[in-house]
Amino acid sequence: MNKVTRNWMINGTPHRVETPPLRRLLDVLREDLRLTGTKEGCGEGECGACTVMVDDEVVLACLLPAGQVPDGAEITTVEGLEKTPGGRLLQEAYAEKGAAQCGICIPGMIVSSYALLRRGPLQAPDAIRTAHAGNICRCTGYKKIIAAVEWAAERWPETVTPTE
Amino acid sequence: MAVKEVTTYRVVGKGIRRLDAADKVRGQAQYADDLHVPDAWHGVVVRSPVAHGRLRGLQRSPDFDWTQVVVVTPEDIPGHNIVDMMGRDMPFIAYDEIQYCGEPLALVAAPTRQLARTAVAHITPDIETLTPLLTLDEMVTQYKTNPPVLHELSAKQIRKGQGAAALADADIVLEREYTAGHQEQLYIEPQGMIAIPEKDGTLFIIGSMQCPYYINPELCETLDIPPERLRVKQAAVGGAFGGKEEFPTLLAGYCALLALKAKRPVKIIYDRNQDILYTTKRHPAWSRYKVGLNKDGTLHAVQCEFLLDGGAYTTLSPVVLYRGILHAAMGYRCPHVAIDGHVYRTNTFPNGAFRGFGAPQALWAWESMMDELADAVGLPPHTFRLKQALQQGDTTPTGGLLRDSVGSPAVLEQTLARSGFADKWSRCSLGRAEDKAWYGIGCSFFAHGAGFTGDGEARIKAKVALDLEPATDGQPIVNVRVSSTEMGQGTCTILPQVAAEALSIDIAHTGFPMPDTFKVPDSGPTVASRTAMVVGHTVFQAGRKLKQQLEERVAALLFEGQPVELRENEFHGKYDAQTVPFMKGAAAVLAADGPLRVYDQFKLPAYIKWNQDTFEGDAYPAYSWGCNVAEVWVDPLTLEIKCHKITAYYDIGRVLNPVLALGQLEGGLIQALGYALMEKITIKDGKYDADRMQTYVVPTMLDGPEMDIHFLEYPYADVEPGAKGVGEIPMDGLAPALANAIARATGIRLRDLPLTPEALLKHGGFAAPAQTA
Ligand code: FES
Ligand code: FES
Repeated sequence: MNKVTRNWMINGTPHRVETPPLRRLLDVLREDLRLTGTKEGCGEGECGACTVMVDDEVVLACLLPAGQVPDGAEITTVEGLEKTPGGRLLQEAYAEKGAAQCGICIPGMIVSSYALLRRGPLQAPDAIRTAHAGNICRCTGYKKIIAAVEWAAERWPETVTPTE
Repeated sequence: MAVKEVTTYRVVGKGIRRLDAADKVRGQAQYADDLHVPDAWHGVVVRSPVAHGRLRGLQRSPDFDWTQVVVVTPEDIPGHNIVDMMGRDMPFIAYDEIQYCGEPLALVAAPTRQLARTAVAHITPDIETLTPLLTLDEMVTQYKTNPPVLHELSAKQIRKGQGAAALADADIVLEREYTAGHQEQLYIEPQGMIAIPEKDGTLFIIGSMQCPYYINPELCETLDIPPERLRVKQAAVGGAFGGKEEFPTLLAGYCALLALKAKRPVKIIYDRNQDILYTTKRHPAWSRYKVGLNKDGTLHAVQCEFLLDGGAYTTLSPVVLYRGILHAAMGYRCPHVAIDGHVYRTNTFPNGAFRGFGAPQALWAWESMMDELADAVGLPPHTFRLKQALQQGDTTPTGGLLRDSVGSPAVLEQTLARSGFADKWSRCSLGRAEDKAWYGIGCSFFAHGAGFTGDGEARIKAKVALDLEPATDGQPIVNVRVSSTEMGQGTCTILPQVAAEALSIDIAHTGFPMPDTFKVPDSGPTVASRTAMVVGHTVFQAGRKLKQQLEERVAALLFEGQPVELRENEFHGKYDAQTVPFMKGAAAVLAADGPLRVYDQFKLPAYIKWNQDTFEGDAYPAYSWGCNVAEVWVDPLTLEIKCHKITAYYDIGRVLNPVLALGQLEGGLIQALGYALMEKITIKDGKYDADRMQTYVVPTMLDGPEMDIHFLEYPYADVEPGAKGVGEIPMDGLAPALANAIARATGIRLRDLPLTPEALLKHGGFAAPAQTA
């Protein structure tokens, strides 16, 4: 089978990946690189558990063929968040506010939060809800997740916005 | 009101951060699919394409190289081909009559999932098709016209006073029918399991589950191995809600049978489509009430028929039925009660445990009925409820006495007051043509039995252990050893809180290792809102025992025999001012004696009397209480229903951790919102039509209403620290509160769940008749 080679910066570390181009980014992350923080909840773009960032965009790793992620792309998964001040702040916010229950949605959810907050101060009043509308959580009823993101937004480290 | 005297607690009652929070926010928690098991093969189930039939045989195509895979058929099962739940009617692998679409016919394992699926595609079942009975509607029609046709899986009745005969002396009699559809748990982690044959002959099962001690012993009979050779361990669980109570046994069985034959680890991770199609749902239900009222608006007699669609096999349906009928006329004083409950078979996947366990279906109908009854006697629904809400000293429909810890009617009164109910209720739209948006408000009031029904706790005798042992860093730690599992609800934090409280040490010195049947005693399954109350109490008792033992040993080792008290994380000598930190004292005990384990076991208070045959007596040791007020806007043009606010009070006894308890209520209410307004499954060609997340739609962050939730604590005096249950009660009341609100908004009474714009349209939505009765 044809394979493509990609050099990606994943969570700040360079990785060279060889993969069939149609293989899902999710499988490359979870199976080839054993970055199992990113989860599969539905495999069809409906739950958001597989949310990761490719460059500055939020993407669903279950829908994205690895071949479409260009050479040189920067990929951020839940495992990479603790390497950034904003990511650590969000982790603290989620833990402090009780935003994680079973935790399976959290890797995707918190990447969505991170992508939202690093874009700068929240503009629209419903910015948080809209930014996480694609992340389904069946446990929390979302209230504590919203509280966590608000808490982090208030304390977002200015020096790291927008490009940490 | 017997509010237990407020004790000051150090650890209990604090919003302590979850012990698993750090792992979960860092993506480090290990769920079944994250476990790396080298050389594991993938299992796939060969399933019946028809809902009802007779299996004549399975043809394996000669075009496939069968040496690359392992196939398991009933002949390969070492023990009995039976899944032993409450009935012994379900085979692991069907061999004769097929009862539902998707029933397993064989199992296949291969080095890759792809190859296993290819193998499955080369197996063709030969089936003589039979006529299926598929839906609740068909079931109810048969029940009304030709009941002997139905296959009964379970039945139970409740009688109080004169029963239905008393309807004859009522001033007003009202009859109504209600239905509720399937609901899918939709935990975000699909089910997954791994079976690993170990070198020493043990079989190790690890995966996503609520109840490790269901799998062992249930599987032992099938695999024909002794319990001490079957080790079951829980991996991190990504949500369960009842959906991982009984069915992980099946997954474990498939993996185990394949692993034993393949002589290597086998894993099965369902994808979302398989998970929706081939795991349990909430039972669809039908209720018919005939209720007799006195002229003054008091309840005189309740007759209720309560039917559950059990799906193909008995599984846990009898207990779901019991909890259903026990809540079907709860909450209010009524001298005469007759409830008849039945579970009948349909040719669909067996329905099973789901948060609330029959109570949400029963209360959906009963609390809708309460509003219709209030209308019938011309009373506002809140006045009608306040008039007869149960109080301390009253008896339940089974004649159980409400002795203690009764949050009724306080939670009802408080919720009504806080939401401004009476005033808002009088200003509802009732489908007025001139209104641009229709406003409505509705309420529901309910109790939820905490713990197992009847004498269940007396039979289970929950056992817990506390281990003082060295942690991975060598420092002493008190580990809570129970089979109660963490699945998001907070067990891994509240039980250590209780242990720390009993010992008077800091929570940092406690731990909660993942339950493993080789390491923990059986504290019972993690179900029935029983963990905080029953297991919590037992952990507290064990903590007190361990405290005493530690004090004695530390006295001998470090205080030259003078009496010692462990208090606020320090050992204090009785006669001098000397203190020793807990960790130092514990380290001394560990060094001298090695690890220390104490056990304790739950005992039901002696006054609890229950007759399982007649269903008379104390159905539950205690009840949690709740009241929901829902406010809605309905768009007169599109009939779109939007719930914008929920006000609720709950008495869940002592609140062990307010952040976690609120999390349960908020999450449960949003799940209940989905049940009430959005989540719908119909059956097409014997299959669920909504079989993916695209078609089975649950609430997102955009759907959440404002939630104003409060606790009223009426601690349960017979347990420490006095918790009742919180897990299930948030599912109980929102659907009827919403139906009642929608009736006030539109003038239309909906009696079938879910409550949708289409249903409003069917009832003449645009014409909006002010239909009340
Ligand atoms: S797994 Fe990608 S959206 Fe659900
Ligand atoms: S915490 Fe369980 S799905 Fe979000």
